[in-house]
Amino acid sequence: MPSSPTHVSPTPAVQLESVRKVYQSGDDEVVALGHASLTVASDEIVALVGPSGSGKTTLLSIAGGLLRASDGTVLVGGEDITTYDQKQLTKFRGNNVGFVFQAVNLVPFLTATENLTVVAEMNGRGGSAAKQRAHALLEQLGLGHRKRNLPDQLSGGERQRVAIGRALMNEPGLVLFDEPTSALDSKLGVQVMELIRSEIKGRQTAAIIVTHDTRMTEFADRTVEIADGELLPT
Amino acid sequence: MQLALREMRRAKVRFGLLASAVGLLVFLILFQQALLNGLTTDFVGAVDNSDNPILVLNEQARANIEGSFLLPDQVAAIGELDGVAATSTVGENTFTATTPVEPEPLDVVLFGYPLDGLGGPTSLSSGRLPEAAREGVASAADAGKGFAIGDTVTIVGEAEDVDITIVGLADEARWSVAPTVFVSYDTFEESIRAVNPDARLVLPSFVSVQPAPGVDVDALTDRIDQAVPGVESLTRSETIDQNPGVAGTRQSFNIILTLAFLVVVIVVGFFFLILTVQKSKSLTLLRAIGSPRSYLVKNLLAQIGLVLALGFIIGVGLTVFAIGAAPIGDVSISVSPRTIATTLVGIAVLSVIGGIGAIRRVLGIDPIEATEPGGQGT
Ligand SMILES: Nc1ncnc2c1ncn2[C@@H]1O[C@H](COP(=O)(O)OP(=O)(O)OP(=O)(O)O)[C@@H](O)[C@H]1O
Ligand SMILES: [Mg+2]
Repeated sequence: MPSSPTHVSPTPAVQLESVRKVYQSGDDEVVALGHASLTVASDEIVALVGPSGSGKTTLLSIAGGLLRASDGTVLVGGEDITTYDQKQLTKFRGNNVGFVFQAVNLVPFLTATENLTVVAEMNGRGGSAAKQRAHALLEQLGLGHRKRNLPDQLSGGERQRVAIGRALMNEPGLVLFDEPTSALDSKLGVQVMELIRSEIKGRQTAAIIVTHDTRMTEFADRTVEIADGELLPT
Repeated sequence: MQLALREMRRAKVRFGLLASAVGLLVFLILFQQALLNGLTTDFVGAVDNSDNPILVLNEQARANIEGSFLLPDQVAAIGELDGVAATSTVGENTFTATTPVEPEPLDVVLFGYPLDGLGGPTSLSSGRLPEAAREGVASAADAGKGFAIGDTVTIVGEAEDVDITIVGLADEARWSVAPTVFVSYDTFEESIRAVNPDARLVLPSFVSVQPAPGVDVDALTDRIDQAVPGVESLTRSETIDQNPGVAGTRQSFNIILTLAFLVVVIVVGFFFLILTVQKSKSLTLLRAIGSPRSYLVKNLLAQIGLVLALGFIIGVGLTVFAIGAAPIGDVSISVSPRTIATTLVGIAVLSVIGGIGAIRRVLGIDPIEATEPGGQGT
């Protein structure tokens, strides 16, 4: 293993073992996820590709502590989150995971900076340190001149960049992206993917990026395909 | 807190309107209480601020001093009861009088009491108590109508008039919304005879009773009612509460006040419920990225608190301004700091109750919904 000047943790960022997710709808059972097993190394970017309804968001939600698996083990950063209660999961999401959701996802009455600092504030870590970190992130994302703007004063690409900054705010070991480029045209999509790659690689954290678009997979270290709730062997 | 403040700063008009609405309601509630207070004082201030621990009235008067008189046997029987330390006969009647200021004759209420006994005013705003016949303490609110210290109020009689010199003034000392003068019982009797020269016997309106030390007031009123036929004993506050003018006024005001309190709950409750529903996507997002429920509820409560604080400032400010600027007729309106405090606490409690719908909504947010496509706002 090549040594790195910063950190290389031997603990994988994510280890899913035979994770199942079954939805009960009336008398029917919908198996959203079969026996999914997936390991993502601590500094690895994995692209998750698959058709609509194949279980991509479900897998992401389980790895991010938004959804409980029906069965199987979920280790994130070595922690077994399957036993966590709601309160612990909330704390886990706030401290360990960064999310960029499928739709553009900012609080409309908060400025770009505030959309980042709220992550620190809601866990009692507000103040000037949080503000400085938010400003630094926005600068890196090329939004230095947009710090005080509200989301509706930003373009779609700018908003997505603020959302990326928000996801990185709590220095997570794992960042989850659900279709981060679906609302953008392909040129902007490529730019955002380049940005995601450089930000994630610069921090040596792990990321799972869900996408429909196979052109975006070139920005990942590895591509995993999913169909009908089953991960396909690569 | 910060989240709450930021949202309010970016929706100033919306929150400003709500705070103004709350402010107007607070004003409405406080001003009505001031008005009720003023009207009540105008009806019964003379008794409220007089030295009458227990009032024994004629049973048939139904707690109305105006319609009450006691016979000599009754007066004597009351004085002989155990637990009675002292009694005084007090007369009350409305007369026609002239003053140096008013061009037309006007109605004046006289309270006659033994100058060394019960039934006089408890405190004076200026001057002194009457010490001789034909001296009187007048309701201070009427000083400008010829009831100032040194003025002579003339009770218009059939043949002869009775001149009363005002020697003192008492605040909140009106009776039945009329200028009121406390005089000696003898002067009261003289005035009755001046108006009605044929009167053979002048009867007192009620007997004022001082309970002996250590005697329970309620027990004593019961004992008097049982021992003396045809009388009804009331404490001073019972006399006031049962006064027909006061009871009627309070009843109508209480309906309006209750409605105003209800409107506060509804306005605050619906506003925050609608607001919470409108921003449920943002709240879902915040929950999804790790915001504890308590953080969102605290911010909601902070907003309710800030809106109320602003509303209270507006409401109390308007009330103080209105009371200072607009004396309504002769009614001297005022509202005590205690009334203000209880009203504000009441509104605060009711507003939080009104906010329960919004709070439940916040608590019920499911963070997984943030993953739905289009599942959150901009
Ligand atoms: N709450 C739910 N109740 C019942 N079934 C659900 C629920 N959520 C998802 N499903 C089903 O689970 C399956 C996987 O859903 P999921 O959202 O993970 O798919 P996806 O790959 O993200 O699709 P898309 O590309 O359209 O976003 C689908 O068949 C979906 O209908
Ligand atoms: Mg999806």
